[in-house]
Amino acid sequence: MRCLLAVATVLILGAAPAHAGRVVIEVVDTNGRPVADAIVSLAPMPGTTSRGIAPATRFVDQKDETFLPYVTALHPGDSVIFRNSDNTRHHVYSFSDMVKFEYMLGPGESSPALLMNNPGNAAVGCNIHDQMLTYLYVTKDPEMATTDAQGRASIDGVNAGQYRAHAWHPQLRPGVTLPIQGVTVSEAAPATVRFNLALLPDPRGAMDREHIGY
Amino acid sequence: MSRFRRAFAAITVCLVIPLAGAQDVKVHAYADVRLVDAPNDPSFVNGGPGRTRYGDGDTQARFGAAALVVTAQFTPALFALADMQLQQTDHASPQLTEAFLRYRPVSLSAWRASIKGGLYFIPISLENDGIGWTSPWTITPSAINSWVGEELRGLGAEAREEWRGDAGTLGFGGGLFRHNDPAGNILAMRGWSLSDLVYGVGGRLREPSDDGGRDQYAPFQSIGGRTGWYADASWKGASGLDLRVLRYDNRADPQAHRLYSDGDRLFAWRTRFWSAGASFPTGPITWIAQGMDGDTEVHPRQRTLLTHFQSGFLLAGWNRGAWRPTLRVERFRTWPSGERGHAVTAALNWRPSGWLRLTAEWLHVDATREDREDVGLAPHERGNQLQLLARVLY
Repeated sequence: MRCLLAVATVLILGAAPAHAGRVVIEVVDTNGRPVADAIVSLAPMPGTTSRGIAPATRFVDQKDETFLPYVTALHPGDSVIFRNSDNTRHHVYSFSDMVKFEYMLGPGESSPALLMNNPGNAAVGCNIHDQMLTYLYVTKDPEMATTDAQGRASIDGVNAGQYRAHAWHPQLRPGVTLPIQGVTVSEAAPATVRFNLALLPDPRGAMDREHIGY
Repeated sequence: MSRFRRAFAAITVCLVIPLAGAQDVKVHAYADVRLVDAPNDPSFVNGGPGRTRYGDGDTQARFGAAALVVTAQFTPALFALADMQLQQTDHASPQLTEAFLRYRPVSLSAWRASIKGGLYFIPISLENDGIGWTSPWTITPSAINSWVGEELRGLGAEAREEWRGDAGTLGFGGGLFRHNDPAGNILAMRGWSLSDLVYGVGGRLREPSDDGGRDQYAPFQSIGGRTGWYADASWKGASGLDLRVLRYDNRADPQAHRLYSDGDRLFAWRTRFWSAGASFPTGPITWIAQGMDGDTEVHPRQRTLLTHFQSGFLLAGWNRGAWRPTLRVERFRTWPSGERGHAVTAALNWRPSGWLRLTAEWLHVDATREDREDVGLAPHERGNQLQLLARVLY
């Protein structure tokens, strides 16, 4: 028993970084307005050790003929499940270079877990409802967060050290070089990362009782 | 029973029988009433020389239109739509404005193909993307799209191919159609109009009359039995730029004709035109521009009557959440009739809730047409039409 306790203590102490800090993220557009659904990831510079990543399963819901969320951040090895919470069918598909798939989902149904093997991004649509659109973004960077409606996000427990921060958003101009900036994480005070992104219009079609989308 | 009506009966059966088995059937609808302050000229709707929907200078509450749109997704790839409308012209007129089947299987490549058959609007308007082919920007569409709503449709089939890239979607399409042989008649006989009336199967367009006659015709009928075609290309960019170009030729036999009820001849009008349009957002402002250039002709008794027509508009809509002010300017002309004019439309749209649209619209028309003198009117006309609309959406 004492041996087990000793092993557990070692594991817990080993899992917690000796020095960990917080990164606060803010993303705005060229007019200074907050940008939601931007993914900011941190890649450790040489000499900085990062946290280990355990494979996770993320869910993308379909509700009121809208994919929720608009973007999903994943690591290679993670899986994604598409869930249909509408009372109509959806035909979820992607023809991206990163991953190709199609799932016919009736009301209340979920897809099998779709494994993401490689980094990249994929636009996912519904072949029945063309205005529906969501994005999967897969990165090897160990730390990542998605901004909320106020354009803010934060990452806690980041190992102290030097990182390179990347920002990605589905409405960045195709082919544009992703914005990058350096960030130093320390225990003393939260590090702040602020990105300014030039975005294209939202590609999702407006759907309401006036626009029935056919 | 005409072949057209038989074809429609067949389409209706094709739509209704599988409807029972379709998992996803949706019903959409709208109805509107409006308070109208009309220009003085009697409207073309009542056979008058006015080119707006309402006339006679009165101020009245009016029923505008009601529509019922039923969609059904029979299989993941097979979709159907039927749009029935009740339009208030010079009489209450129930009409079938669209009824089509579309087959569009999923594609796991950048290319996606689809085919469509039935009665449908050709892909020409960048304004009218609302329920029942309404415009979310104004009550009254441009002169170009007013004419499209009146006379351009047919029983046909089209094929479409899309290439979907990171920078945008490139589209090509084309179709063959019949039963659109009178298209062009109203432009030659009356000229351009500005109206949100949409005609369909069951509707009858009225020609101008200086003797109290009521010459009316079904705009979607076969005269001469020829097959027309259209082809279009489009680009929908990631930047929001939407470009569309279309060529239309109904290939009607300009010597073919039918008799009106009073014995006059309704000819098949050989109508050809180019249409090009663009839509582009700059911040909260959406810009839409469209131009049309074409001609239409008939050959009654070895003569050739040729009418050229042109029109173009520029629309700016300011997207401010529930509020959407819109301004549109346009020009139009036909010759050799000597018709030439311009119009300005200002609309303020408010969507206080998802089921309600309130719009105030001011439409100013300034035009000249020499044959107004035939009915004792000055060739030059100028008028304002004011509408306050309440539209309930389901």
